[in-house]
Amino acid sequence: MSSRSKSNLYLGFCCLGFSLLLLFVWIPLDTETGWIEKVRRQITIGDSLAPSVAALFLLVGGAILTLIERKAPGQPKLTGANMRFIGSVLLILFFSLTIMRYCGPLAVAITSAFTGDELEYRLLRDTAPWKYIGYICGGIVLIAGLIALIEGRMTGRAVLISALAVLVLIAIYDLPFDDLLLPPNGDV
Amino acid sequence: MGVLDYIWLGILSVFQGPELFSLFGLPVSVTLVMILCGFLLGIAVGATPGLAGPIAMAIALPILISVFGYHQDALLPVMGFLIGIMKGATIGGAVPAILFNTPGTPDAYMTTLDGYPMTQKGQAKKALRVAHFSSASGDTFSDIVLIVCAPFLALLVEAYLDLPEKTALLILSLSFISAVIGGSPAKGLISAGLGLLAVYIGTGEDFYPRLSLGTSQLSQGFPIATAVLGVLIIGSVFKGLEELWHEKRQSGQISVIKDKGDQRLRFAEIRRLFPFIARSAVIGTAIGALPGIGSTLAATLGYTVGKGRYQRLKAEDDPEFGTGVPEGIAATEAANSSVSGANLIPVLSLGIPGNAAAVFLILAAESIGGFNPGPSVFRFTADTVNPELVVAFGLFTAMFIANGLNWTIGGVFMRSMGVMIRIPKHILLPIVLLLTLTAIYVQETRMAAIWFALAFGVLGYFMRALAISPLPFVIAFILGGKLEESARQAFAATGGDAFFLFTSPVALVFMLMSVGVVVFTAIRSKGSEQSS
Repeated sequence: MSSRSKSNLYLGFCCLGFSLLLLFVWIPLDTETGWIEKVRRQITIGDSLAPSVAALFLLVGGAILTLIERKAPGQPKLTGANMRFIGSVLLILFFSLTIMRYCGPLAVAITSAFTGDELEYRLLRDTAPWKYIGYICGGIVLIAGLIALIEGRMTGRAVLISALAVLVLIAIYDLPFDDLLLPPNGDV
Repeated sequence: MGVLDYIWLGILSVFQGPELFSLFGLPVSVTLVMILCGFLLGIAVGATPGLAGPIAMAIALPILISVFGYHQDALLPVMGFLIGIMKGATIGGAVPAILFNTPGTPDAYMTTLDGYPMTQKGQAKKALRVAHFSSASGDTFSDIVLIVCAPFLALLVEAYLDLPEKTALLILSLSFISAVIGGSPAKGLISAGLGLLAVYIGTGEDFYPRLSLGTSQLSQGFPIATAVLGVLIIGSVFKGLEELWHEKRQSGQISVIKDKGDQRLRFAEIRRLFPFIARSAVIGTAIGALPGIGSTLAATLGYTVGKGRYQRLKAEDDPEFGTGVPEGIAATEAANSSVSGANLIPVLSLGIPGNAAAVFLILAAESIGGFNPGPSVFRFTADTVNPELVVAFGLFTAMFIANGLNWTIGGVFMRSMGVMIRIPKHILLPIVLLLTLTAIYVQETRMAAIWFALAFGVLGYFMRALAISPLPFVIAFILGGKLEESARQAFAATGGDAFFLFTSPVALVFMLMSVGVVVFTAIRSKGSEQSS
């Protein structure tokens, strides 16, 4: 934090710009009706009005930041470290969720290739052990990856804890219920 | 049906609901068991730094709905469980604050100021007893105020507010919440604006889903769970992880301090603490009744007022506030605990959530159906039974049962929860993240929901990094649909009058107050900026 930070000013400008973009480009081009519409001789509120109110909140907020709060003390600002951290987290999440999505189908495809049976993951997505493969693999990578990010190294302990945590989650969300589907089995 | 009949039906709906088992021949209803389970879970999560009541509520909600289904019988067990968590987490937060100088919940920060010094003096158990007694007293007072005030407020709203006034009231709530949360009205407005924008994407009355950019994913809108859990929980997990990442965790050993002296809380001490508890309970209840202000401010104010009184009355050789004085713990805990009951006043009487716990109660009610928190709940129909009113009195009963648990087993369970501090945060937070993503997926059953939640999580992270409170976002997301619907109805009812918000005196006053509260807080923040 810095008392000389201009983050409020930059944030204010961003909000002003975004609200104007909303009001004059996005809302008019991506909404079918205006603020007020006449339908069958009755005047009603159109679909543009509510998002315009949202834009107004952003516009007023941006204006107050720019005009009144631009020199407020203790303005936090985004740093390279913030971006590096969130970038690393998103990378781990993207990787783990991709594993979660494709591990099960891949395991079925490999098994089919070896056994010669024509298996299809979609039909097995509510059958153990197939339904757990993606969740276990992706879940372990997600938890262990984030622990490793904080600890600065990957340890066997982190992997073990992750595996245990994933098994506990399966016990909570899957074993007692017939109608709940673990990710990614709802839309494969 | 009279008022007393409704109250009696509400009590019966809790005690004579679906039976789970029988004890010595007496049937024990599932709602009672759920309140107990929620309360114990709440104490455990409150006592665990890095976890909080809303996280437990978020994770539990899809499981509860899956167990109890989508019918009216599910309302009381599910909402009773959530109320149990809400109340348990409030007292649980004091445990790590007192024992380890680590507040389990943000509002327990002020508890560390006198709680931890008492632990260092070997008075840990006594400090926990003071915290428990003060917390339970504040909570009980707040619940009584809730039960007395909420129905009257709702009746007033129904009697005097028509559609334009209700629309103006929603705008006033949004602008009030934006202006007072987080100390910057500008950032509050931005947070609320983003929440409104998010809820309006992919919705509307036209055939074409507005602001969907022609994509099928956006055309369905954002599920409420993805936005609320994303911004509130996932954003907070990202921020918590980042703090650990920066600190690189300097792991220090927890030194063991042995208890010394009398650990009991004597009646004479209770009598000495009582004025501090009473003042803080009133402060916390008043603050809690206003949507969005929250328990942290209540705790700070309660502590400040308590400190002022203590300074005036103390003998010369008495210790100062902040050096391990039971009055400091009592003032803080009574204030932050009395917020939780009063926070339900705007929820039940107006349908406006005031804090994160209230958001999850509304989420539960909306998911299950059959109960729409708002002024219409308190319709005392004479000839037919209003089931929503029975549920409301059932909820009041659940709150009193949770209070009873708090007074009886709460203290013992709370004192045994010191062990939760030993769970490392950097292991806990990734597990909470997967838990939250799983909770979202089992509700929505599509991977897109997980991606949306992560996107909202990133938004929540950036909001926290820029000191923008995520609460106005969440409340605006919940109220956005209601605001638009109410405006459409008011516009139609006034015959297409474009100035419908300014023609009735009450609506005009609400609108002027909406502008006034933003202008006033902006000028005040400018003033404090110049003085600093």
